[in-house]
Amino acid sequence: MRRALSVARKEVRHVLRDPFTLALALGLPVLLVTFFGFAIDFDVGNIRLSVYDRDRTPASRRLAEVFSASGYFNVQPGVHPEAPSKDLDAEEASAVLIIEPRFYEKAKSGAEAKAQLLLDGADNTSAGTVLGYLSGIQNAAQKRLAPALLSGGNKTGFISLKTRFLFNPELNTQWFTVPGLAVIVVGLLSIMLTALTVAREWENGSMELLLSTPVEPAEIVLGKLSPYVALSLSALLIVYLVARLIFRMPFAGSHLLFFGSSLLFLVACLAQGLLISVAVRQQQIAMQLSIVTSLLPSMLLSGFIFPVESMPAFFQYFTMILPPRWFLAVSRGVFLKGMGAVELAGPLAVLLLMDIVLITAATKRFKRDLET
Amino acid sequence: MNTTGAFIRKELTQAVRDKRMRLVLFLLPILQLTIFGFAISTEVRNIRLGTDFEPNDFLARQTVERFFSSGWFVPADGEGLEPFERIRAGFADAVLVAPRGGLARAAQRAAGGPSSLPAVQLLVDASNAFRARSVERYAQSILSRQAGPGPIVLDVRVLYNPALESSVFMVPGVMSMILCLITIILTSMSLAREREMGTLETIIAAPVSDWEILLGKTVPYVLLGMVDALLIGAAAVVIFGVPMKGSWAVLFFSAFVFVCTTVSAGTLISTLAANQQQALMGAFMFLFPAVLMSGLMFPVESMPALIRLAAYANPLKYFVALLRNVMLKGGDARVVGTNLAALAAMAAFTVWLSARRFQRTLN
Repeated sequence: MRRALSVARKEVRHVLRDPFTLALALGLPVLLVTFFGFAIDFDVGNIRLSVYDRDRTPASRRLAEVFSASGYFNVQPGVHPEAPSKDLDAEEASAVLIIEPRFYEKAKSGAEAKAQLLLDGADNTSAGTVLGYLSGIQNAAQKRLAPALLSGGNKTGFISLKTRFLFNPELNTQWFTVPGLAVIVVGLLSIMLTALTVAREWENGSMELLLSTPVEPAEIVLGKLSPYVALSLSALLIVYLVARLIFRMPFAGSHLLFFGSSLLFLVACLAQGLLISVAVRQQQIAMQLSIVTSLLPSMLLSGFIFPVESMPAFFQYFTMILPPRWFLAVSRGVFLKGMGAVELAGPLAVLLLMDIVLITAATKRFKRDLET
Repeated sequence: MNTTGAFIRKELTQAVRDKRMRLVLFLLPILQLTIFGFAISTEVRNIRLGTDFEPNDFLARQTVERFFSSGWFVPADGEGLEPFERIRAGFADAVLVAPRGGLARAAQRAAGGPSSLPAVQLLVDASNAFRARSVERYAQSILSRQAGPGPIVLDVRVLYNPALESSVFMVPGVMSMILCLITIILTSMSLAREREMGTLETIIAAPVSDWEILLGKTVPYVLLGMVDALLIGAAAVVIFGVPMKGSWAVLFFSAFVFVCTTVSAGTLISTLAANQQQALMGAFMFLFPAVLMSGLMFPVESMPALIRLAAYANPLKYFVALLRNVMLKGGDARVVGTNLAALAAMAAFTVWLSARRFQRTLN
């Protein structure tokens, strides 16, 4: 144990000698979480909608008004009357509304009055959202243009919906993104802190020196990890303060549970970095592997933005090997819903298992290196 | 010129000599494209819906069946729990609660007298605000469809991707991300590495000019980046069947300009970093915002104005726009022109900046 401590002390000294890295480790998470906490908003406003009104009646104008009144669209006259879809080709609009001639006549007589809406299927963010808004817009149009149907005596078949949004009644997007950002940013940083440590010592030869002393591989691994655990926990603490003070996030759960599970998560990330470092022994490749195995997977597959529930079954299982997938569930559950240790037992157990597996693998790998 | 050629050749062989490096270069991009292309979808699906109604309430049962047959909802676990608790404990994303006394009775009452419409309550877990909004929209549209079609019909067509396949949305974006990532991680360590190992002095002392060293440190990676662009482009068309409506020449020219930008950005990072740890941090500082603000994760247009400025300085944003326009829409001259011009301006700036820094580092 004393030997692990001295390895740790040496590592602390190494971190302190490079103030730039230290400042980044503590400052970067704050910067990124604050910046992207304000930046990310999934609501697509200001969708440019080109309108081709081929009816030119009060009713068709009212339909266009329904779109602009929804608040999501910036209505503009169409540019290519001969081929409306060209507006989308040239990216002059994200959606095109074409109101057929005789729209008004048909709406008045109760026949089916048609309008065509073209969406830009090359852009996932705008097409998806517009599709989501559609039923609301169609209802609004129904109400404004054909009120007779709704106010008349025939109400059978109508059921109204009263929605209650729990835990975030105002649907504040930041309350959703900030706990996620905190997890992703601090997790990535942790991997990068340890990914080079051992590889660096192999490259500059100090590893041979260390190995000629009676230090055990397990002691080296623990000694290397512990200073970075302290560092990344501090980074997470600062990010937590940003969430509470800048974004005014409520915190419904237990702090002990949150920081306890943070510890499990950060150890998993740091151990992943260390395992890479032990396995490849070369800083450049360690760097490449650490970025390739962490950056895109944790941003795209962990459920940070793209929902895991919507992935094909195989990939839902695949995401289970990613530590942030589990800690995201914990972080979101504890912050807003106040979930307890019993409800989160699953993710916590997986994180603990990952810690054990990764640390054992790093130690084993080390031993093998020594014997060869 | 001969020495430059030899120098480039040396760096190139050094890059592809290592077996692990070849994996990073050629196998990982394809693997990542396949995984991300198949897995990611922005659509909200498989919403776990709990229900709370009395067994003899036929109208409620009918309504619930409509929810499940819509394809968006799946039954939730945690039967028997109180609705709020069921959501809090994470068994359900939403719970549909019929009024006390039954929805059927409420509907009868509404039909008979002047009372308001019968209502069901939907409790939604809004800790994911994004998902919560979709859940409500889906529920609204299911209930309004139940009332039968109104006289006004919006006939919706999604161009370029009529089946709304996620891979068509995602693959061009993911291609750009991977190309950006690979070129940055290949280059951002180069000088930092030489400096840490002490070989930088050897290079400086060698009888080659600064320019030759710079070319030797960048040209091989531009070449490797282009090989990767070719690999990923072929995989997108062959594996995912992403349509290629525009011209390959335009695509590769855009890729070339983009790769020049990222290779010089990576080189710039390597000149600024004192050691490899700093280079790694620098690469992360570049990649994280670039990926997040590429327009693939969330719409750039809805960001606050000041922050949007930062998005306009992101080369990845323009490259994603280019790939999407060229592959899916056939390449509109004006769109390709403006994006390419922005990208070229960035390439010129980063090449100039990194060349200057590079020279200063060597001297």
